[in-house]
Amino acid sequence: MNGHPTRPEDFDLYALGVLEGEEKAAIESHVPTCAECAKKLAEARGRIALLAFSAPRVEPSPAVRERLMRQVHASAEIAGAKRVQPELERTGGFFGRWWAAVLVPACILLLFVAAHLRNENERLSRELAQEQATLQQQQLASERQQKQLDEARHVANLVEAKDTVIVPLAQQKGMPQGTAHVMYNARMGMMMYEGKLEPSPAGKSYQLWLVPTSGAPISAGVFNPTTGETTHTMMKVPQGVTAKAFAITLEPAGGKPQPTGPFVLMGAVS
Amino acid sequence: MSGQTGTELRATDAALIQKIVQRDESALAALYDRYASLLSSLLNRILRDTQAAEEILQDVFYQLWLNAAKFDPGRGSLPGWLAVIARNRAISRLRRHNPSEGEEFLETTVIVPVNLENAITQQQLLGRVKTAVENLSVEQRAAIELAYFEGLTHTEIASRTGDPLGTVKTRIRTAVESLKRNLLS
Repeated sequence: MNGHPTRPEDFDLYALGVLEGEEKAAIESHVPTCAECAKKLAEARGRIALLAFSAPRVEPSPAVRERLMRQVHASAEIAGAKRVQPELERTGGFFGRWWAAVLVPACILLLFVAAHLRNENERLSRELAQEQATLQQQQLASERQQKQLDEARHVANLVEAKDTVIVPLAQQKGMPQGTAHVMYNARMGMMMYEGKLEPSPAGKSYQLWLVPTSGAPISAGVFNPTTGETTHTMMKVPQGVTAKAFAITLEPAGGKPQPTGPFVLMGAVS
Repeated sequence: MSGQTGTELRATDAALIQKIVQRDESALAALYDRYASLLSSLLNRILRDTQAAEEILQDVFYQLWLNAAKFDPGRGSLPGWLAVIARNRAISRLRRHNPSEGEEFLETTVIVPVNLENAITQQQLLGRVKTAVENLSVEQRAAIELAYFEGLTHTEIASRTGDPLGTVKTRIRTAVESLKRNLLS
């Protein structure tokens, strides 16, 4: 298609990702050649991106921020080390040229050596690549371990704090069976859920809610446990929010921004 | 919000991006505190897996750190752009394929009709989006959620719901028009 898309909402449908085949190809072939339509597509992407706000609120674990900042700090140090390298190479340039002048007459003899060195270099490169792959795997394993350690530290801090309260969540009549409690520390702004529930019915998910002293409930996680599985969820409580209760509801699969389903478990902060 | 100064709390996204270009780690932390909650909610809704969601969340911000110099705030909204990238990555993982060329990290321009740089605006928008989605019919909402949170196309949604393809197309088109009207009003 060379002309503009005839229906303005086509850009939103493209941004949503539902178009396929010719409809999708038509947008993709036209937009790179048309600034007006590229702007319309950017605006459509922005409108569709707002749907992210309809997802139930789930605060990231504080450990993510810590890992990110460690990763960023480490990369900054590596970049600093690399900046030193060109300087060294430049300093060596004068000597490189001097040595080249001396060695040119001997080049022919060195060709044989060079061939050998090339083979050796290729072998070392292969070994180096393998070493790097191993190193990357070890780094990933190390990051995973660090993540577990971070989480364990947060759990330990929460458990050890004298002002942490344990809020048992009581079974509600006629609802799926389960036992659960929430460890909550208002001063630290941390909560941890631990519970065991029957598998959720088909098309449904359990959703944990923090009920604040004022304002609407805040989603603290959506889960679909399998038989016999204990679910753990840790969450940083948003700043300025104080919990008066915690509850679990049964919601359509994937959860809802606000509770719509029946209460399965519930407990007030004493 | 630990470790942030008042200046960082008030700084615009563009100013913080500029500081990141100058390798200021606290600027990245400020942007993380501003948008991590939104992205975490989105990623958890798509993946339903906290660990996978946190991995992508960390990676999106790390990519921002590495590529900040290439991001031109004049070309679009940072939170909109972060949301698009996070969604693409989550859906790619969900569907077990690598992001296609069209989903390259820095080639996507996103213009959001509101400024999301402060928490109050984000909170107000949350209410507006929630109302706009709630105003859709049950079928429209389900179709939009399958498209946005699961990355399904028209044909895949029809296959999933058992509805005729034409019905699904009309339903989504009507839903998109309604969202557009309500979000921009």
